[in-house]
Amino acid sequence: MKRQTRRLDRQPGEVIDRGSPLEFGWNGRSYPAYAGDTIASALAACGERVFSRSFKYHRRRGLLTASYTDPGCIVQVGDEPNVRGAHRLVTPGMDVRSQDTWPSLAFDVKAANELVGRFLPAGFYYKTFIRPRPLWPTYERVLRRFSHGGVVSPDPLSPELSSYDKRQVHPDVLVAGGGPAGMTAAVAAARAGARVMLVEEEHSLGGHLRWGDKADLAALHDLRSLLAASGVEVLTNSVVFGRYDHNHVAIVQRGLPHVYERLVKARAKTLVVSPGLIERPYVFAGNDVPGVMLSTAVRRLINLYAVKPGDRAVVLTANPQGDAAVVDLERAGVEVAHVVDARGGDDLVRVLGRGGVKGVELVGGHRIECDLVVTAVGWTAPLTLLTMAGTVAAYDSRAARYFPGTATLPDDVLPAGGVVGDGTLDELVAHADAVGREAARRAGSMSRREPAAEIPALPVDAHPELFHGPTHGIVDFSEDVSSRDLLTAVEEGYSSAELAKRYTTATMGPTQGKLESVNVVAIIAEATGRTISQTGTTTWRPPYAPVTLGALAGRHREPVRYSPMHPWHERHGAAPLVAGAWIRPDHYGDPAGEVLAVRERVGIIDVTPIGKLDLRGPDVPKLLNLLYVNRWSKLEVGRVRYGVMCAEDGVVLDDGVTGRLGDQHYLMSTTSSGAASVWEWVESWLQTEHPGWQVHVTPVTTSYASINVAGPRSRELLGRVVAEIDLTPQAFPYMHVRTGRVAGVDGCVLWRIGFTGELSFELHVPASYGLHVWETLLDSGNDLGVRAFGIEAQRILRLEKGHLIVGQDTDGLTQAFSAGLDGLIRLDKDDFVGRSELVWQAEAAAESRLVGLHPNDASVVPEEGSQLIEAGVICGRVTSSRWSPTLHRSICLAQVATEFAEPGTLVTVRLPDGRSVPATVTEHLASVDPEGARLRG
Amino acid sequence: MAETGVVARSPIAPAAPEIILAGWAVSARRSGAALTVTDCTPLTKVAIKAAPVGATAERLEVPFGRVSRQTWTLGDRDCSVMVVGSGPGEWLVLGPPGSQVSLIHQLSALAGDGDLVAVVDLSHGRALVRLTGSWAAEVLAKETAMDLGDSVCPDGAAFRSAVAGLAADVIRDDRDGTRSYLVGCERSSGQYLFDSLLESGAEFGIEVDGFVPPDI
Repeated sequence: MKRQTRRLDRQPGEVIDRGSPLEFGWNGRSYPAYAGDTIASALAACGERVFSRSFKYHRRRGLLTASYTDPGCIVQVGDEPNVRGAHRLVTPGMDVRSQDTWPSLAFDVKAANELVGRFLPAGFYYKTFIRPRPLWPTYERVLRRFSHGGVVSPDPLSPELSSYDKRQVHPDVLVAGGGPAGMTAAVAAARAGARVMLVEEEHSLGGHLRWGDKADLAALHDLRSLLAASGVEVLTNSVVFGRYDHNHVAIVQRGLPHVYERLVKARAKTLVVSPGLIERPYVFAGNDVPGVMLSTAVRRLINLYAVKPGDRAVVLTANPQGDAAVVDLERAGVEVAHVVDARGGDDLVRVLGRGGVKGVELVGGHRIECDLVVTAVGWTAPLTLLTMAGTVAAYDSRAARYFPGTATLPDDVLPAGGVVGDGTLDELVAHADAVGREAARRAGSMSRREPAAEIPALPVDAHPELFHGPTHGIVDFSEDVSSRDLLTAVEEGYSSAELAKRYTTATMGPTQGKLESVNVVAIIAEATGRTISQTGTTTWRPPYAPVTLGALAGRHREPVRYSPMHPWHERHGAAPLVAGAWIRPDHYGDPAGEVLAVRERVGIIDVTPIGKLDLRGPDVPKLLNLLYVNRWSKLEVGRVRYGVMCAEDGVVLDDGVTGRLGDQHYLMSTTSSGAASVWEWVESWLQTEHPGWQVHVTPVTTSYASINVAGPRSRELLGRVVAEIDLTPQAFPYMHVRTGRVAGVDGCVLWRIGFTGELSFELHVPASYGLHVWETLLDSGNDLGVRAFGIEAQRILRLEKGHLIVGQDTDGLTQAFSAGLDGLIRLDKDDFVGRSELVWQAEAAAESRLVGLHPNDASVVPEEGSQLIEAGVICGRVTSSRWSPTLHRSICLAQVATEFAEPGTLVTVRLPDGRSVPATVTEHLASVDPEGARLRG
Repeated sequence: MAETGVVARSPIAPAAPEIILAGWAVSARRSGAALTVTDCTPLTKVAIKAAPVGATAERLEVPFGRVSRQTWTLGDRDCSVMVVGSGPGEWLVLGPPGSQVSLIHQLSALAGDGDLVAVVDLSHGRALVRLTGSWAAEVLAKETAMDLGDSVCPDGAAFRSAVAGLAADVIRDDRDGTRSYLVGCERSSGQYLFDSLLESGAEFGIEVDGFVPPDI
């Protein structure tokens, strides 16, 4: 096993737990680490300096920022690709590998790309692979091999990786960024009475104080104590990745024990944005060689992880943070060979070495041997969330960074900390305290009479504008875009930041511009002779940081609906049919046998999903007359009537029966799929067009388990379980309704209706007793040959009977006359929904009709949707087709042009396999019992 | 219904062991966990629709979005019932299992003169689940976008919103100072709702607790 040769003695602010050693794997070898180490810090402690290969040229890459944004340490962890190694904490046994390197990280064949690099300038693929077009699929396959996205296992992910979650929160104040400003603002808001959530990208709060000196650590300790007592909810290892209208804020929370990631959707009354500042890399030759780091990176390594980042360093500094890095390096035992003070005009020319830093060349040609180059040349203000809120970034050349234009911010968004200005820690804390109090006030957590908090201005420190040296180097470390590439883009006409970004892909990698955007704009500005302000910026859109698709998808929630008899269906091997949210029994293994059982004996089917609406009130007949095409004024108590609803355009919307249970009490049924839409339809007409009508509507679909008992012996079966209801044809004729007790269950509704063409009864049983009634029917009818039948058998039975199914035998254009409903439509009614259109259709004659159709070859069952063709022109389509076990032949319903709708007309059915077969239009829609003698029996 | 001797079954399969209580097959499991979920479907549920402002609304004394616990005489005994202002001009009354006949009778008598009132028994048409524990709000926050904070949804509040993708009625009904919510949905999705809450509550150690009548 490797040894931690570069691990320093205990550091005051270290976050590793030396009492919890562990081991993990790196490219197949075992490495030691401590709990609290990131993958990168653990490897660095063992002397590793190369963690990945670059995107395009496969150059060796090491640590640059040693933070979440580090582009040099993106690795594969087990099945999970693209893990940020400078952020992800190591765990015992973790299997970490470099990604997209072959055969190894040390020797990567694709590094040959660099040898032909001059033939691969920015945009080369746009030019190279555009022609000949037929070769694009081949190009695609080859290019895919060069994609830099790691490996996703084809096998299902482990539960730890595939479990995502979401949560909704409603804080008064949400603080994005847990540095000293964010912590202070959160505490101040909480003290003012606000519900506060504080979100921090890193594993712990404190920002730059964490790797600071003794005074910084003491201040951090105090802030943490205040925060702990404040009641603020803190999310660490979490990132606010989007701010949308009305402060809808999206957060990804990681590192949870039970789910891999959680999407937190926050509706914040006010949002405080305090992301701090991100140190900016310097562009010069060799700036991506392993061993070139930012000053904050070496300070993190030394102070947080107790890792000695090198042995001999050259430091380029333009600010006090760079100076502090020098102090830290010397304290850690690193020999600081030379300090290049950019404030005095000194500069670096290039890094020497390819696989790692071997030295640097200064202006004037002087070379210094070293293994570490540290740069501290300025800061980028991550304004992304603020620009999402509407601010326009304004460049300040004196400070060499962008600031938010606060005038364009909405009242419910407040910036705090380094994005606003500089100053001492005390000044930053005072500013953030006022921001926090004001955020709480604006959230309404304080009395409305409370005066607005006076937010002190923060000073802005002068900083030299340092973006690149005298040589070309890498600008976008994620995408391998160099300053030379940007100049090429400008030369080719892509002179705006937006165009150059798209042409070169600069800022489009995992760092999303946080390290490179200012350098990109500065280089374009210089190349075009404009100022940075004139050049503008690219557009910062969500997400602020890359988000997994799993986090966006969240937990899989797909509501399902089961009938009370579902356990029986499962126990008896029913094939499940997914019908919307309902899981229904399609068949029990023998649909043809189920059909014959109904035709010859008796069958029962679970029809619970049929929509049911309880209608009460004196104006129900008016409502029914309005919504159905037929008459309803004289429906007597105890009677049932079939009705069809149309939309305003006369298109068939739904059908069903409605029974009158009492003087002002009706039960309406709808199709299973139309239950919700019909309810909305009914409410819509009542609430918007006829609010004065006295009608109450209550959906009761699932209050009842619905069972259709069908077949010549259905009356006999029902007679064994029904009490106090006379089932004789005289007492309970077709299209009537009764209520009573079934199988010992009160409150049941019985309709004498049917969809199968057989004598049948539809039972609506209080749902909690549905299974009991179902099993009682089967037990009671054993000697009658009773059998459960499923949806498939029902579909065959109804097709034999010629009953249409709305949505199958009609479509979104089928008006009522085309559906063959002539006998039902009452155009002499005063009005009903769709009447005007149907009057017009009656006058103009329907263009198509629903007809029965028998293929002349009885053995051929045309697929539903098959076209009907005459004289080379489509004249219709088969809407329903099945093999009829009753008739031993194929039967169909079809929509045909009216001129082909006469019984006996021969039409041609074009089958999906290209064959054409003749078929004859039948006299009736029904193929079985067209007179209806069986169902009226 | 219980007098028929026929057993009523909730859409939510009872966790073993199963017993018959008040005519319903329910779970006899007892949990001492800090977070529990209980199938309360056996409770009687009666919906009332009437004018939002009128004599019936006045007599019910519960505004939209609020809950009132009242003692009513049902049959020959005093029972605790919960009246929920579940929608504009819409109330839901929860009572002990098997009390629908008495409840409907009493509610029908409440109707004001000239008020059109619909009283509909939904006891078998709705699933009802109780989520209890200090983490109850956190679990529910995974399934609904509503603000569950005390300022918006205090004890005794009710709302209708999407829960786990379902249209659901949610009632904040704390028990002995511990957070508790009743969540009701269409009966057919009861098992799905129950399973969703169990899954979301797993990280908080949620356990199934059996129904104990009257449990209102």
